[in-house]
Amino acid sequence: MAKRIRVLLAKLGLDSHTIGVTVIAKALRDAGMEVIYSGLKQTPEMVVRTAIQEDVDVVGLSSLSAAHMSHFSRVLELLRAEGASDKLVLGGGVIPERDAEKLRAMGVAAVFTMGATTTEIIEFIERWWTQREAQ
Amino acid sequence: MSERARDAAARLRAGDTAALARAIRWLEDGDALGASVLREVAGAPERAWRIGVTGPAGAGKSTLVDALITELRRRGQRVGVLAVDPSSPFSGGALLGDRLRMQRHTLDPGVFIRSMATRGRMGGLASATHGAAILVDAAGFDVVLIETVGVGQDELDVAELAHTTVVVSVPGLGDEVQALKAGLFEVADVHALNKADLPGADSAERNLRALLDLETQRREGEPRWAPPLVRTVAARGDGVPALLDACDAHRVHLAASGEGERRAATRAEQLFYALLREQAPQRLLARATDLDRTIAALRAGEIDAFAAAEAVLAGGGLPAL
Amino acid sequence: MSQPPRDRDDLRAHQERWERETRGPHVAAHGERLAEFRTQAMRWPVKPLYTPQDLDETGFDYLRDAGFPGEYPFTRGTSPDGYRTELWRMLQVTGFGTGEDWARRGRYMLEQGLNGLIIEYDLPTTNGLDSDHPLAAGEVCRAGTAIDTLADMEAALDLPFEKLQHLTSVCNGPQPVNLAMILAALEKRGVDPDSFTLQMPNAILIEYTCVGRYIYPPAHGLRVATDVIEYVIRNHPRWVPIAVVSAQLYAARANPVQELAFGFSIAMQYLDAVLARGFAIDEVAPYFSFITGVDMDFFEAVAKLRAYRKIWAKLMRDRYGATKPESLRLRLMASPGTMSLTLQQPLNNIARLGIQMLACALGGGAQTMTSPLHDEAHALPSEEAIAVGAAVQNIVAHETGVADVVDPLGGSYYLEVMTRKIEDAVFAEIEKIDTQGGALRAIETGYFQRALAQEQYDRHRDLESGRRKLVGVNQGAVSGEKRSIELFELDADAERRQIERLQRVRAERDGSAVTRALARVREAAAGTENLVPPILEAVKAYATHGEICEALRDVFGSHHPDSLTTGI
Repeated sequence: MAKRIRVLLAKLGLDSHTIGVTVIAKALRDAGMEVIYSGLKQTPEMVVRTAIQEDVDVVGLSSLSAAHMSHFSRVLELLRAEGASDKLVLGGGVIPERDAEKLRAMGVAAVFTMGATTTEIIEFIERWWTQREAQ
Repeated sequence: MSERARDAAARLRAGDTAALARAIRWLEDGDALGASVLREVAGAPERAWRIGVTGPAGAGKSTLVDALITELRRRGQRVGVLAVDPSSPFSGGALLGDRLRMQRHTLDPGVFIRSMATRGRMGGLASATHGAAILVDAAGFDVVLIETVGVGQDELDVAELAHTTVVVSVPGLGDEVQALKAGLFEVADVHALNKADLPGADSAERNLRALLDLETQRREGEPRWAPPLVRTVAARGDGVPALLDACDAHRVHLAASGEGERRAATRAEQLFYALLREQAPQRLLARATDLDRTIAALRAGEIDAFAAAEAVLAGGGLPAL
Repeated sequence: MSQPPRDRDDLRAHQERWERETRGPHVAAHGERLAEFRTQAMRWPVKPLYTPQDLDETGFDYLRDAGFPGEYPFTRGTSPDGYRTELWRMLQVTGFGTGEDWARRGRYMLEQGLNGLIIEYDLPTTNGLDSDHPLAAGEVCRAGTAIDTLADMEAALDLPFEKLQHLTSVCNGPQPVNLAMILAALEKRGVDPDSFTLQMPNAILIEYTCVGRYIYPPAHGLRVATDVIEYVIRNHPRWVPIAVVSAQLYAARANPVQELAFGFSIAMQYLDAVLARGFAIDEVAPYFSFITGVDMDFFEAVAKLRAYRKIWAKLMRDRYGATKPESLRLRLMASPGTMSLTLQQPLNNIARLGIQMLACALGGGAQTMTSPLHDEAHALPSEEAIAVGAAVQNIVAHETGVADVVDPLGGSYYLEVMTRKIEDAVFAEIEKIDTQGGALRAIETGYFQRALAQEQYDRHRDLESGRRKLVGVNQGAVSGEKRSIELFELDADAERRQIERLQRVRAERDGSAVTRALARVREAAAGTENLVPPILEAVKAYATHGEICEALRDVFGSHHPDSLTTGI
């Protein structure tokens, strides 16, 4: 049986814009990945528990409001605490470049803001996956 | 490898959900570690009660499972959930959204929720669901709730896995009749008429009861169990304690009537065949020598497909070229 | 159109000849730019030329389908004289910070010559949570104004009311609380509530469909919204207690047919609920208003606005038996849409806004228009963007002459065909929703949500495949362009100050009065009485926004969508 990339997509905080996350979920599915969507109003604690229970490879976090910095850093911190920092953490949403820089320094592998194509995201995940499987 | 499997099994038995989740992943991916972990935990008596929840799309299965979790937790039970969604036949990918409705239980350490994609398997479950249910049991959960795909007509596999199968219907979709057609009626141990606050609930209940009478007549001579019908409004939790009581009554019935043992025997046999069906082709091919050369010869028309297949099935060797 | 058939036969012969002798050879020699031409959202095939023959094929009848402005079916406008009597009202959305911050920005905008304001609330407020709720951290005063208690609304309404004709309170889930806050604040300020028009979207059913800022399960959401409508009709008959914001459906990628069909089905769900409170159709229909947005496909946009008016008139007359002209006449606010604004080459958005504003004006009949701002895709609007946004409206209104003729595109063969096509498709879709039991059921089963999610994906693929062009994105893109996103510099202290004020109010108020008032709210929620009066009492006792919503949650429960009702 083929291995499949498993991805968790979650919306952090109160922001309820779902178009981006819906489109990405469908695009990842159509690229052969298994996508777990855990919905709106997720806290960092919920995201990390879900990521562990679902044993996902990739955690995609979306935030379109300004509260992304504190949410993202808490997710990374909890993943480390749970010994689950082998997961690829991606960010998406309306995130200014100066914040994106800080997020990458924190351990977010990539930040895809508005205008990013689903192809870019899929290729990024697949590249990472291929490299990891090769190890 | 057996070291890793032993370690994983030990952590899993100690209730480490990360180890449990990873072992399920191995089963899904066909990683040999998964089978090793299953062997490690095998032999322990079945402890967890497995409740299957099946029914058509839109019946509110996820909402009902969410409400069942709440009620089971209230009764002090630890709950594992395996929620199955279909894989895309085109890409092999899947959108797994069942846990959306259950997310409020995520932070409860007495609850473990795992979404599974069918990965090409028909029948309403994933190939790995059976093994996953055994692992959830081994990890110390008292009840395993198994939610089927809920799109197809032919989702009867859950009855082979679950101790108690709950079939969920909903007023207004004409499901009473649909369910009968799909054979769901024959596997139902308990019926839930969900969304029973909708208009049409009373007539749906009448229709279901009429069908239930027929079904009871059909089963005459078998150990008596008349599948009860419970009305629920899962979104409000209404009727859910009664539904769980009905499941408990069924459990008592299985134990008292000996039906439980008979089912366990059937289940073992069915699992045996299912495992063979799944793994035999791969193993057979793995044993065959010179496969590439044979296929090349086959494509070139030097040998015929019947002879080649017969040779592999007969003993793993390939016909002389 | 009533030309004798002989002329039409003649025309057909001429057109066939033209195709054979003139266009055919030209296309054969030079080919065409695209293998097929389609409209942007509906993906309907576009013919090279439209003539009176196409009108005949759709069964177009001038008097029945177009008619005259100000008369049924209002295709050519709801006003008999178009924009010649008065131009549309020009509004702009604003909302951020504390109540004082919003009032300061609102005063600035009124000085710029705008005569109406729109107040948007921050996410904790629209989700019915207080600013110090754990989920609110980092969101307070960000995407809108924070309203926790009456004290905040008093600060927000520190405005020159002599200049304010129109205020829109953009809030759905907790609308009765916000309405009560506004009423109590006006009373405290000594302002006559009837000196201006308060408009409330109050469009909770749209939140379940696509926006996501719901609180209670849909059936309870509908009850709360109906209470607001009933209360306003009985107590403030000049106000507008319901606006179906189909613009949100549109922003969620609904195509024009879905936008109108879902929007009207939702409107009819409210209408039925209000009628069940003992009103006659002609007493309530005039209170219904709509807010829409338009996209870049110019003719789809104009046709949508024309069909919008016509379908409403037909629904009101034929389905509900309304007879008063005000019942049949659609009240519409139109706006360029934010969804075609790009992050790349942001100044291009000024051109897009101009074209879309032109479509709004030519579509006619929108009594009020607003404009998003060119830097909205990547920032909270700057003051410069606000000025440009106002200028775009004024340029269309005063420089182009399009406001001087009523429905100047009316009679365009292409436009009339498109208008009819949209109308027919909308009625077919409404029928489909009716068979499912109406909008509430369509939401509860996730029909709307799944349709929109599919459209979102399809449209995104159109962009990625290049079938739809966006300049600066997949056409004329500058490679390596740095997409800058700046967030408007907010007072970082606002959240802290907001929470401090909330806690001060909580400490200073009469706690037992609040407890009593909240108990009354619960009691009302459990029964059938209108919720606005007990909520108004709670607001006056300085119960917080979150406490009042929580009291309702105690009775109604919360909405948790599943995968079907999420649409994935």
